[in-house]
Amino acid sequence: MRRRNIIAALVLLAIGAGYGVLTSQLPARSLPDTPGPPFFPWINTIVILALSAALLVQGLATVDGPAPAQTGSRQRAAWALGVFFAYLMVLPGAGFILATIPFFAALMVLFGETRVLRVAASAMLATASLYLLFRHGFGVFLPTGLLKGIVP
Amino acid sequence: MSPDVFAGIAQASGFLVLLTTAVGVFIGLTVGMIPGMTISTGIIVLLPVTFVLPADISIALLLGLYVGGMTGGSFSAVLLNIPGTPSASATALDGYPMSARGEAGRALGIAITSSFVGGIVSFFCLLFIAPLLAEVALSFRTEDMFALVFFGITIICSFAAQSLVKGLLSGVIGLAIVTIGQDPVMGTQRFTFGEVNLIGGIHFLTAMIGLFAIPQLVSNLADAGGGAKQIQTKLKSVLPRVADLRSIRMPVTIGSLTGAFLGILPGAGGPIAAFISYDYAQRVSKRGEDFGTGSVEGVAAPESANNAVTGGALIPMMTLGIPGDPVTAILIGALIIHGLAPGPLMFTERGDFAFGLIFSFFWANIFNFIIALTALRVLVKLLATPRAILMPSVAVLCVIGAFALRNNFFDVYVMLFFGLVGLAMRWLNMPVVPLLLALVLGVPLEENLRVALTSSQGDIAIFFSSPIAVTFLALSALSIIWSLRAARLRPKAPLPPPTENSS
Repeated sequence: MRRRNIIAALVLLAIGAGYGVLTSQLPARSLPDTPGPPFFPWINTIVILALSAALLVQGLATVDGPAPAQTGSRQRAAWALGVFFAYLMVLPGAGFILATIPFFAALMVLFGETRVLRVAASAMLATASLYLLFRHGFGVFLPTGLLKGIVP
Repeated sequence: MSPDVFAGIAQASGFLVLLTTAVGVFIGLTVGMIPGMTISTGIIVLLPVTFVLPADISIALLLGLYVGGMTGGSFSAVLLNIPGTPSASATALDGYPMSARGEAGRALGIAITSSFVGGIVSFFCLLFIAPLLAEVALSFRTEDMFALVFFGITIICSFAAQSLVKGLLSGVIGLAIVTIGQDPVMGTQRFTFGEVNLIGGIHFLTAMIGLFAIPQLVSNLADAGGGAKQIQTKLKSVLPRVADLRSIRMPVTIGSLTGAFLGILPGAGGPIAAFISYDYAQRVSKRGEDFGTGSVEGVAAPESANNAVTGGALIPMMTLGIPGDPVTAILIGALIIHGLAPGPLMFTERGDFAFGLIFSFFWANIFNFIIALTALRVLVKLLATPRAILMPSVAVLCVIGAFALRNNFFDVYVMLFFGLVGLAMRWLNMPVVPLLLALVLGVPLEENLRVALTSSQGDIAIFFSSPIAVTFLALSALSIIWSLRAARLRPKAPLPPPTENSS
C-alpha cells in the first residue's frame, strides 16, 4: 500500500497542478470584493495539492505492510474491460441489438459459462427482452443502428 | 393534522403505488441477498425505469428496493456466511453459526422481525422529525447552508475512509469535478474545452453508475472462478418463537435507536450502525458471552440497526437535500429528474409528495416483513442464480441507464470514464462514496459560499456571525478530530473496514 500511496500522491499532485493551470486561465469576471468563477476551483486546487502532499509524506514515512491479497484473475478483468470498451465503441454504429448480443455472450464466457448453445440463446434472449422492454415498454430510444427499418 | 399528511397517505396507498412498492421490496430482497449485488447496483439497474415512471411510483419502487435490500443482505449472511450487503456483515457473526447448527429458519425469522421493527421505528423518526427539521431549515441563511453542506461533506469523508487524507481527497476530487460546466452563480463556462455536452456538467447519476457498477462487475469477474457454496434451501419454520421475541427486545431497541440516529448522520450508514449496535447489545446482554456462537440477540441487534438506518438517512435527504449514502443520493437524483428538489421547501411547496414519500417508506417496511416471511423459500432459491447471466445483464442495464438519462452516448462514455476512476480508487484503497456525495453537494456548497461572501463583500466573518453556521463549522472540525482519533484507535475497534457502499 505504501507504493500505491506514493503513486497516488504523485498522480494527484500532477492533477492538482494541471487543474490549477486551467483555473488560472478562467475568466475572472467579478465585482470588486466578491468571488468570481475561479474562486471555488482555486480552493479545490489548494486543497488537492495540500492533501496530495500529505499523502506523499504519509507514504514515504510508513513502512510497507503485507501486500493485499489478490482476489482473482487480473487477466479476466482486463479482458472484461476490453470487451466493455469495444462494445461502447461499436454500439452507436451497429445499434443496440447487434452490439449487445456478442457483448453479452463474451461476458458470459468470461464469467465461466462454456456451453455454446446456452451462451448463444441467453445472449439473444436477454438482448431482445431488454430491447423490447426499454425501447417499446419505457420509450428509451435505444439505437437500432444497422438494423434500422428491420427491427421496430 | 396537516392536510398534506392525508394527501400523502392517499398518494402512498394508491393501488399502483402499493404494487410498485411491493415489487421494489421483492427486487430489493433479491439483490440484497445475492452476493456481488449491492443495493446501489440494484437501484442503478432500476434507474432507467424510474426516468419514465411518474415520480410517486418511481420513489415507491426505489424505497421498496432500499428497504428490501437491507433485509435481503441478511439471507446470504445467515445461509452462506457471505453478507449480501456490507450492512449485513455483523449479522453473519451469529446468523451463520445458527444456520450451521440447523437453525437457519429461526435466524432468518429473527432477522426479518428485527428488520421490521427497526424500519418502523425509523419511519416514526422520519414522520415526526423531518417536518420539524424542514421548518427549522427554512430559516437558514446562505452562510448557514454553506456550513451545513460543508459539515455534510466533512463527516462523509471522516466516516467513509480508514485514512482521513484519502477520504478528504476523494471528496475534493468530487468538488473539482463539479466545477466542470456552467458556474452556478454567474453562468460562466468552466473546464468545458468547447465540448457542448460538458456545458451542463457531469450528471452525478452517470458518474455513480460508473463508480459503483463497473468496479463491482470487475470484482465479481475476479471471483468468478470460486466454487459455489452449498446453500441450505430447506428451512424449518421462520416464524419467531415467543421466547425469542422476548429475548430480542433489548437488542432490537438498541439497534433501532442507534440505526435511526446514525442514519441521520451523513456517511455513517448501515455497516457502522450494525457493528456499533452489535457491540453495545453484547455489552448489555446477560448472555454476552454467547455472541459470536449463534445468539439470537447477535442477529437482532445489527438487523434492526441496518433497517433503522434507512428512515434516518431519509431525514437529511428530504429536509436538507443532503444524502447520507449512495442510495439516498440516487433518490435525490430521481426526485430532481421529476422536477422535485429535496430540501426544506419540499414540505411547504409539495407537502403532499413529501408525506407520500414518508408513507411509501412505511408501506415498504410492511411489505418487506410480509414478503420476506412468506416468500423466503422462493427467495432463497434465487441465491443459485448463475452469475454468468446475472452480471452481463447488469452490465447492459448500466449502459442503458447511462444512455437513458439524456438519450446521449456521451453519458455512456462518461460512465466508462468514471468506471476506470472507480477501479483506480479501489486499487488505491480510496473510498468512492465521498467523491459521489461531493458531486451531489458541490453545487450548493459553492453557490452558498459565493452568495454569502458576495453579500458580505468578501468578509469571511459572515460565517462566524451566525450561531447556526458556527455550530456546523465546529461540528465539521469535531468530525475531523474524531476521525483522526478513531484512526489511532482503529486496531482495537470492532468496526468493519470502510466499504464502497454503506448499503
